[in-house]
Amino acid sequence: MELRVIEKTEEELRLEIAGEDHTFMNVLKGALLETDDVAAATYDVNPEQSGGQTDPILTVKTESGDPLDAVGTATEAINEKTTALADAVKAA
Amino acid sequence: MSDADFDVQYIERDDRSARVLIRGLTPAFANGIRRAMIADVPTFSIDTVRFVENSSVMFDEMIGLRLGLVPLTTPLDEFEVGDEVTLALDVEGPATAYSGDIETSEPMVEPADDNVPIIELKEGQRIELEADAVLDTGKEHAKHQGGVSVGYRHLQHVTVDGDRGEFDEDETNVLRGVIETEDGDIVPTAAFDHDLSEKYPGKELTVEDVPGAFVFHIETDGSLSVEELLLRAIDTIEERADELHTKVSV
Repeated sequence: MELRVIEKTEEELRLEIAGEDHTFMNVLKGALLETDDVAAATYDVNPEQSGGQTDPILTVKTESGDPLDAVGTATEAINEKTTALADAVKAA
Repeated sequence: MSDADFDVQYIERDDRSARVLIRGLTPAFANGIRRAMIADVPTFSIDTVRFVENSSVMFDEMIGLRLGLVPLTTPLDEFEVGDEVTLALDVEGPATAYSGDIETSEPMVEPADDNVPIIELKEGQRIELEADAVLDTGKEHAKHQGGVSVGYRHLQHVTVDGDRGEFDEDETNVLRGVIETEDGDIVPTAAFDHDLSEKYPGKELTVEDVPGAFVFHIETDGSLSVEELLLRAIDTIEERADELHTKVSV
């Protein structure tokens, strides 16, 4: 997972996350959209055959606050979910 | 999202296949787990073969391909991606070489099935080879997929609205998957031949998806158990979230 910031302002972030695909990006996008103060979150990824940019690019806009913090909060939320789910699976 | 409240229930459960009902998932998360089970949980598979003798009717490469497709048991606690285990095969005709004839240098990594035919050998034909199995993910090559048939459907709730009109046609109402009845019973549709008019004859019904409730059908190739596959898939997502978290916090 290599990160490259393409654009960063106070309320907007465009971030390339190399080596990831829909598996994680869609989960991350979903978590970001449920995070407070996030106005918009999406990702864009091109197929392998297209040539050029094939690593996903995450775009986050916030209503207020640093978008990087929003990503941090979202990843924490994913961790919380996976931990709870793993426990529930073990208990079943 | 913060009040992570999951409910996991096995509807059918075997060593290698299961139906699991998970409540409280978002579609994105359900699909992430599905994709991770297929492509991101590593298993052992033969990757390099050194032939000592091959007087069979097939080229080395064709036998190499067949060997790669033999599922090998994978204790993931003991190994990490990239680790190798050496295996060997020595069979002389007339006989059929089966996966069960493969000798292993590491008893924890052995063919998951003994009855996968590799090649039939006639009188005087022989194969002798040494092979390296490597631990890698399905993303790298499909032979490393632990989950061979993994998918999910929504749980469907069936409500009885009342009796069907006396002179209405008695139509079949075919449904696949798992339903939840009004009493909260979870019933696989196979129990009533996938036809709701068998279970509720002469009734007017409403069928709707239950939000956030997914019925996973998970089948493995024997490298891992169903529970191990599911837990490892959840782990890979967690690992990536943690990695991203560390990187954005810096």
